[in-house]
Amino acid sequence: MSRIRPLLTSLGGILKARMLEVPVRLIRNPVAQFLAAGALVVTVIIIATGRLSEQAANDEAVADSLATTQVLARSVAEPAIPRGLVSGDTGAIDRFDRAALERLRVDKVKRIKIWNSEGQIVYSDQTDLIGQQFDLGDDELTVLKHGDSNAAVSDLSRPENRFEIGPDGLLEVYTRVWSPEGEPLLFEVYYSADDVAARKKEIFDAFRPITLGGLVVLLALTTPLLWVLTRRLAASGRDRERLLRAAVEASAAERRRIARDLHDGVVQDLAGTTFALSATARTLDVGPDETRKLDEMSGSLRSSMRSLRSLLVEIYPPDLHSHGLTAALDDLVAPAAGDGVQATVEVTHVEDVEDDVVALIWRVAQEAVRNALRHGHPTVLDVFVSGNTDSVVLEVIDNGRGFVPTENTTGAHFGLRGLRDLIKEIGGTLDVRSAPGEGTAVRLEVSLP
Amino acid sequence: MNLKKQSMAVAAVALTLGVTVTAVPAYANDGDVIREGSCARSTDWKLKASPENGRIEVEGEVDSNRRRQTWRWTMRHNGSLSARGTRVTRGRSGSFEARRVMVNMKGKDLFVFRARNVRSGEVCRGFVRF
Repeated sequence: MSRIRPLLTSLGGILKARMLEVPVRLIRNPVAQFLAAGALVVTVIIIATGRLSEQAANDEAVADSLATTQVLARSVAEPAIPRGLVSGDTGAIDRFDRAALERLRVDKVKRIKIWNSEGQIVYSDQTDLIGQQFDLGDDELTVLKHGDSNAAVSDLSRPENRFEIGPDGLLEVYTRVWSPEGEPLLFEVYYSADDVAARKKEIFDAFRPITLGGLVVLLALTTPLLWVLTRRLAASGRDRERLLRAAVEASAAERRRIARDLHDGVVQDLAGTTFALSATARTLDVGPDETRKLDEMSGSLRSSMRSLRSLLVEIYPPDLHSHGLTAALDDLVAPAAGDGVQATVEVTHVEDVEDDVVALIWRVAQEAVRNALRHGHPTVLDVFVSGNTDSVVLEVIDNGRGFVPTENTTGAHFGLRGLRDLIKEIGGTLDVRSAPGEGTAVRLEVSLP
Repeated sequence: MNLKKQSMAVAAVALTLGVTVTAVPAYANDGDVIREGSCARSTDWKLKASPENGRIEVEGEVDSNRRRQTWRWTMRHNGSLSARGTRVTRGRSGSFEARRVMVNMKGKDLFVFRARNVRSGEVCRGFVRF
C-alpha cells in the first residue's frame, strides 16, 4: 500500500494537470479566440441593434397610431359630427354614437374622447365621461389651436382616465376636428401599450433575421478559413521551431568540434611546450639570464593557455547539466577577474532544471557577461541563478556604463535579441534594464513544467 | 270661444287623457321598461327601453290593424331629437316598429316616442324613463 499511494498521487497529479491543460489549450486556440470574439461582437451588435431597432420600432408604432388617428378623425369622426354635439345636445350624442362608434372601434382603439375647447368631453364611448369637464394640457390646447397631431403616454392617474385599467398603460393620440358649427374639437384616441409593443416587436422581428443571419453566415464562413489558416500557421511555427533547434544543435556541434580540436591539439601542444621550457630552464648548463627568459616564456605560454581554455569554455561549455552550471559560469567570468573586475557567481536550487533550460541560462549569461565586459567596463559583475518549483531565474548585474535600452546604435545587445525567439520557445521571458551611468541588469525567467 | 274651438279643445283633452290614462307601464326581463297605450283612435302603441351593451335600446311600435298606413315618427331623448323616420304599417297586424340605440346618459333618461298618421293625422305618443 505504501508503494501504491505515491503512484496514485502521481496519477492524480497527472490527471489534474491534463484537466487544467485542456481549458488552457482551448483558450490559446486562435479559432476558439475568434469564435469567442465573434460571439462577443454578435452579442454587442444584438444589443446595439436591439436598442436602435426598438427606438425605430417605437417611432414607427407611434407613427402608425398617429396615422390611424388622423384617418379615423378625417374619414369617420368629422363627417359624422352632428350639429349640437359641441354643446352637449343629447340627441346629437345619440346620432354620433350610432353613426360613428362601430367604425371608430377598430381593434387597436381602446377609448375615444371628443373634447370641446372648454375642456368638456362632448362625446366618449365611455358614456359616464360625457358632459364632464377637465383641464386640458398645454399640448392638447396647442393642437386645438394650431391643428396637427400629437401622441403621449397616458397619465392614468388623471381623473379623465379613471376608467382605464391594466398594467401596460395607454398611448393617447389626439388631433383637431371641426364641428358643423365651425368649433374646433379635440379628437382623442387611446391605444393599448400592448398593441404598440406588438407593433414594435413585429417591426423588430422583421429586421432581426437580416442582422443576425448575416453575422452568423459571416461567422460560419470565416471560421473554417481561420481554422485552415491556423493549422498552416501552427505547422509553419513547428517547422520554424524545428529549424531553429537544428540550427542551434548544428552550431553546438560545430562549437563542440572546434573546442575538441583546440583542446586536443593546440592546448596539448602548448602544455607540452610549457613543460619542456620549464624543464629546460632547470637544466644545469643554462645560465641565470637564459633561465629567467625561459621562465618568462613559460609564464607567457601558461597565460595564453588559460586564455585559450576560457575561449574553449566560451565556445562550448564543458558540462551543461545542472550540476555543472556553477563551474561553467565560473569559467565564463574567469577572464573578468584578469581585467580587474570583481566577479561573483551564485547558483542555488537548480538541481531539477532540465538540460535545455540550463543551456539557455548559460547562453543568456554568456551574452550578458560578454556585453557587460565589452561595452559596460564594469568593476563589479554578479551572476545569480536561483530556482524554485515553478521557475528558474538568471540575473546578470553590472555597475558599468549602462545604455538606453530603446536605442540601438551600437548593436551591442544583438546577441540577446537573437536569443529572444529561443527564450520564447522554451516559455521564458527576458528583461533588460539599463540607463546611462546606472549599470545593466539582465533578467531571464523560465517557467518550469 | 266658439263651438268649433270648444269641440277641438275637448277632443284634445280627451285624446291626451286617452293616451295618458290608457298608458300602462310593464316590466319585462333583464331590466326592460315597457309602456303601452292607445292612440287617439283605434291604434295602439308600445314603447320599450332595454339595456344594450352599455347603451339603451328604445323600440317604439304602432299597431293600427290596417296595412299600408304611412306614419312619421320621432324619438326624443331628454327632450332632444335623437331619431326620426317614416314607416308604413305592414303584415296582418298592420303595425310598424322603430328601433334605435341611445346613449345612456348620467341619471334617469327620458325617451319620448311620437308617431303621426300622415293621412288621418292620428297621433300616438308615449314615454318611458330608464
